[in-house]
Amino acid sequence: MSVKKLDKKALNSWVESLVAGQKVFGVQAKGERFAFAELTDASALRLDYDVTMLPPKKYFLPQREDLLTFKRSGGHESVIECDPFVLLGVHPYDFVAIRQMDAIFEKDNDDIHYKARRNAATIVVCDVQNASENVFAGCMNGAVVEDGYDVLITGIGKDYLLDAGTEKGEALLHGVGAPDARAEDMAERSKVWEANKAALKKHELKCAPADLPKLLGSSEEHPVWAEKAEGCFSCGSCNLVCPTCYCFDVQDEIDWNMDSGRRYRCWDGCMLTNFATVTGNHNFRPKVEDRYRHRYYRKGKYIPEKIGEISCVGCGRCITACVAKIANPVEIYNRLLEGK
Amino acid sequence: MTDKCQGNGGKDIYLPEMATIKKVEPLTEMEMLFDIALDSGEELGHMPGQFAEISLPGIGEAPISISSSPTTKGMFQMGIRKVGNLTNHLHNLKPGDKVGIRGPFGTSFPVDTAMKGKDILFIAGGIGLVPLRSAIHYVLANRDDYGHVYILFGTKTPADRLYLEELEEWGSRNDITFMETVDKGDSDWKGSQGVITTLMQPATSVDPKSTVQVGMDVSGNMPGLDLVPKNTVALICGPPIMYKFVLIELKKLGVPFENVYISLERLMKCGVGKCGHCQINGLYACQDGAVMKYSDVIDVKEAI
Amino acid sequence: MSKPRVAIFDFACCEGCQLQIVNLEEEIIDLVTLVDVVEWREAMSEQSEEYDIAIIEGSITRPQDEERLKEIRERAKILIALGACAVTGGINKLKNNFDLEDVKKCVYGKDAAMPHLDTAMTKAVGEVVKVDFVVPGCPINRAEFAVIVRSLALGKTPVLPTYPVCVECKMRENGCRFEYDEICLGPITRAGCDAPCPSAGHWCYGCRGYVDDPNVNAAKDILEKYGKTIDDLKSKMLLFNSKQEPTL
Repeated sequence: MSVKKLDKKALNSWVESLVAGQKVFGVQAKGERFAFAELTDASALRLDYDVTMLPPKKYFLPQREDLLTFKRSGGHESVIECDPFVLLGVHPYDFVAIRQMDAIFEKDNDDIHYKARRNAATIVVCDVQNASENVFAGCMNGAVVEDGYDVLITGIGKDYLLDAGTEKGEALLHGVGAPDARAEDMAERSKVWEANKAALKKHELKCAPADLPKLLGSSEEHPVWAEKAEGCFSCGSCNLVCPTCYCFDVQDEIDWNMDSGRRYRCWDGCMLTNFATVTGNHNFRPKVEDRYRHRYYRKGKYIPEKIGEISCVGCGRCITACVAKIANPVEIYNRLLEGK
Repeated sequence: MTDKCQGNGGKDIYLPEMATIKKVEPLTEMEMLFDIALDSGEELGHMPGQFAEISLPGIGEAPISISSSPTTKGMFQMGIRKVGNLTNHLHNLKPGDKVGIRGPFGTSFPVDTAMKGKDILFIAGGIGLVPLRSAIHYVLANRDDYGHVYILFGTKTPADRLYLEELEEWGSRNDITFMETVDKGDSDWKGSQGVITTLMQPATSVDPKSTVQVGMDVSGNMPGLDLVPKNTVALICGPPIMYKFVLIELKKLGVPFENVYISLERLMKCGVGKCGHCQINGLYACQDGAVMKYSDVIDVKEAI
Repeated sequence: MSKPRVAIFDFACCEGCQLQIVNLEEEIIDLVTLVDVVEWREAMSEQSEEYDIAIIEGSITRPQDEERLKEIRERAKILIALGACAVTGGINKLKNNFDLEDVKKCVYGKDAAMPHLDTAMTKAVGEVVKVDFVVPGCPINRAEFAVIVRSLALGKTPVLPTYPVCVECKMRENGCRFEYDEICLGPITRAGCDAPCPSAGHWCYGCRGYVDDPNVNAAKDILEKYGKTIDDLKSKMLLFNSKQEPTL
């Protein structure tokens, strides 16, 4: 696969050509912060962003997604929506999270709704140019990705390297009239990667991520869970902004005709009060403390047991989003390392 | 679905298949038994202890355990308590009405493996009898494959007793030790009073194998359980509160926890290990359960 | 099955929630196809004595209104409280923080003693009669109202969100209002509105009332982190949640 070197102007032309030819979602400014949104104007793309408010999971597991339509007078029909699209500017930590979601939604029972969206996507990863205030991807193997992407953009000085990692990526770069990267350019890229691994550590985890399952295995009764939970609003913000949270609720909606309707799934969160409440009102996880602990165990123990990777990529969104400022995973894990 | 956007060509795990209600029969004021057949003509293909998602378009979907044994062909049964929107609507259904079915899902009781050749102790609290009944029927349909069979059943009141004809039949069979109790009896109740653990006291002198236990006297005079603990496999299903106390008694009786199987209720929303609602610590009730070997989950904080 | 007969009544309010129903626009045709609206002062002239569903907008501020409401309750199989004034008392409950005579003088001046201006302490509809369902908000979210109506028509009990506004606010990718040096009631207010206020650059005013178990202690704790005082928070809670539990 080839690596092309583009200057700023050539990069803009390339983005313009993408926007003109297909549906593109890219990072743009939203107020003082950033969000992925449909890109119609190439100049609105902000590859210099620090972090988006919501992760790009919203394109694979939409906030609300119809699973099927039905008629009460008979029958259900799957809804699979999946126009091809390009996702432009995904940071490495978010890409690591997407690959984890791929594993989750494929494991045991393949989820064709997720898979259809995933197959429809061409993902352009972009190395981080500006670290966000709470990022710690450097501690979580999330600062850089070296494979799996369709295209990887890395800013080196005034230029950009565009690396096609798949055939889809090659197709996206097809016709880009730019020179191939030279060995010294590739060396520059390695420097960016090394720099990012060091820089994306606004919080420093005092153990290897691989040590977390064992650490959590002996920390169920640690006082930190109750202490932190005291400040928790059960608002689920940490769930919603998390690139690896994927829990969902399923509901039915009927149309005015009282016949047709749809069954949809929508984002849910294990921190919300009634997440584990069954019909008849018994809540199997009624205490905030237990919900709070559960979330960290999912990230650091339960999901790793399922897919073999720590399910926190160090984006730091939860730290920023938590109004009570109790959701810093690094702080929690370091505290557990200290013992009591 | 077009080729370009096809997921994996596989089936949609959220898409129910249509099924028809064949028969409805009230079990109590709150519970109804439904005979259901898949419109495809296929068997559901479940094993005792498994559940399926039943749905009505517009109302919603819920996990319900299967109450019939796979040895019963041509249909399957669900005993459903009226507790919410979906179950209220289900109770209004008549033979011929359609429902959506997904499943069967989850683990099952080890009727063909660990239970073979063993004495079987069924312990059911209230509608916990619904999933256990599937295993009971299976065991009775293959009676010679098992040793002694004990069925202990407890409800809050006599009005909560389910499958009355079957209770009577179990009580009258001489190849089953059947005992039951109610937390609180009424003037007509001649049997035992007290929580289910009342039925789990060790026998002193009476040999249960020679005694048919239809009902104890009101003073709670029990023949007791005369188990060969190491040769006994216990299957438990009941309300969340029941397990802890039953397990204490089983320990006293000397039944090894490797031989104890519990069926746990949780919110199995998707049934396929995705939605996250049914997690019991790291386990998914819909995949690792609902039936779990107790020795496997003894250290799982959220299980019991 | 005959169509359910629906009557809509207003008490002390701005009638803005009824306006939200009117604002369903083309969906209003679907609505009146599904139900038979037999009385609705804001939209039609007919009146009726019989109805299956009574929708009550506004709070109860006079003794004679209590009597009228009780009569409506007797005639209705299902009674729905519509909007903040009906559900919690809403803004109208602000006056319950003051002496009633002072309130009258302040509002009506020299006419305060006129009999038709008589007023009492504000009550939510549920403080006078049994309420079957509530549609909270100032104004109501008409999409939520439509879902509730369709659910009821299907015989399905509608369920309001039990989580706070932060959920919907995060989904809309808003920056947190606390970061803008504001006190926002989002973390303790019931969702279902789709967070229109934070999405438009305002804090959440709490018009939908509190979530079932709001963590008010946490709310107190975070004030310090953001350089605010309890009084700042209290003043925010007064507008829509006067005399509501929990209090600070």
